[in-house]
Order: sequence, then structure tokens, then C-alpha cells
Amino acid sequence: MCFMMLVIPKDYEQAKAGTLPDPALVEKMMKFNESLQKAGVLLALDGLHPPSMGSRVSFKAGTPSIKDGPFAEAKEVLGGYWMIQVKSKAEALEWAGRAPMLDGDVIEVRQVQEFGDFPPETQKHLEGFTGMQNAQKK
Amino acid sequence: MRFMVIVKASKDSEAGKMPGTELLAAMGKYNEELVQAGVMLAGEGLAPSSKGARIRFDDKKRTVTDGPFAETKELIAGYWVWKVASKQEAVDWLQRAPFDGGEEVELRQIFEMEDFGKEMTPELRAQEKSQMERVAKNQKGGK
Repeated sequence: MCFMMLVIPKDYEQAKAGTLPDPALVEKMMKFNESLQKAGVLLALDGLHPPSMGSRVSFKAGTPSIKDGPFAEAKEVLGGYWMIQVKSKAEALEWAGRAPMLDGDVIEVRQVQEFGDFPPETQKHLEGFTGMQNAQKK
Repeated sequence: MRFMVIVKASKDSEAGKMPGTELLAAMGKYNEELVQAGVMLAGEGLAPSSKGARIRFDDKKRTVTDGPFAETKELIAGYWVWKVASKQEAVDWLQRAPFDGGEEVELRQIFEMEDFGKEMTPELRAQEKSQMERVAKNQKGGK
């Protein structure tokens, strides 16, 4: 089963445009990434620029409206993620607990929906979806 | 440049209510356009937070809380990773998405190696490159 480990760094909702992680943290993070990779559980990973460089699009009755970041109302935002393939939620939590996070950071562990989770009626609309995932290289 | 397109959770998604046929068909068509345009790199839906957990890091202490996380307004239901030439292109694509029920979707730029400048030494770059190659192998190995 696949889990997404969503990193919610403390106070990242207030980070200025262009903020980058500390080099010492990047070094520790690369070691952790390497251990995930060596164990064969790592499927994907990315870091995200602060929300002050992003936008939100809201949809009402089919009409999109755009708001540029930062988002004053947000109390927590995403800083990055790992996608891992493990045997159980407990194993995912064990990996998450080993991540080199800073004081007050949170990792949310969420199970990824698989084809088999959907009823047959829905599955027929999902045919071809697996082929769309990771369809292209960067 | 790459963007993560983050679809926020709703009461329905948190309740485990699946989208109807009409929306699934519209989403399938939209995804097909993204793929054909070479924009879509990845996409997944997440099970409700009731099947998940959170870990809080305080110094050496780890606190695990099982879902659901009713207190947060920032829960995620799914995401895409898109490759586009500009943020505007990502915004343009997103405006065409078949959402219509008050959904909110967040666009966030993904860090690339060159964003790190000199701090990312040749050794660290080589390590990253090697990791990404092996990650691609993991993906091919199937889920």
C-alpha cells in the first residue's frame, strides 16, 4: 500500500518568497531520503516553495477565482512530501518518525487511493488512470 | 518549472463519499488533455484522513495522533504534479478543471536543484541524481 507523508513545517505559512531550507537540514534530509531509497520504499518526493509564491483557485458554480499567496487565513501549509510504498500504516508511521524534522513540525500520513478501493462502477471510469500517473519524466 | 496542484478536502471527501459518474467522466477527460499536452507528471487521490495519522516533532519527542483531523481546515484530498513554462500556464490549466462545488485548489511551485545554488554541492547533486534514478526504478516495480 502507498502512503503520502505530508510535511507541515512550523510557521511555513508565514515564510517570505524565496525562503530555502537550511543547508544543514538539507544534508540531514538527504541522508533520510537515502535510507528510504535503500529500503526500496521511496516512490517520489518533492519540496515546495512557500505559499507566498503560490496561488489558490476556488471554484463556485463552475467559475474559478484566483487569489495569490500568502494566505492569511491558513494556519498550516504544506512544505513537501514523500510518497512511499510499505506493508502497513504502522510501517509508514515508523518511517515518518525517523524524519529529521524541526521542533513543532508535523508530518501527516495519508493512505493513497488504489484502483481496487473503488467499486466496479467507478473503476470503469478510472481505466487508463494508472497510465497517466508518472506518465512523463521531469 | 513544476507545480504541485493541491486539491483541498471537502465534507464529502472526508466522509468517504465518492464522486459521481458525471464528475469522474469530466475529470478523466481533463486528465487526458493534461497528459496529451505533456503537462501531467503525477496525480493521486488520498483516502479520508480517518485512515491516516499525524506525527508531531518536538525536540526528540514524537507524538502520533490517529485521524480524522476535524480541527483543520487545510486537509488535502488529492494532488497533481504539473510541468509548465510559467505559473500563469498552471493557473490557466487549473481554471479549466471540472470543479463546481466550492472546491479550493492550491498551486505551489516545486523546488528544483538550481534553486539551492552553491549550497547544493556537486556531491549532493550527484547523490540526488542517483536517488532519482533509483526512485524511478521503484516506481516501475509497481505499487
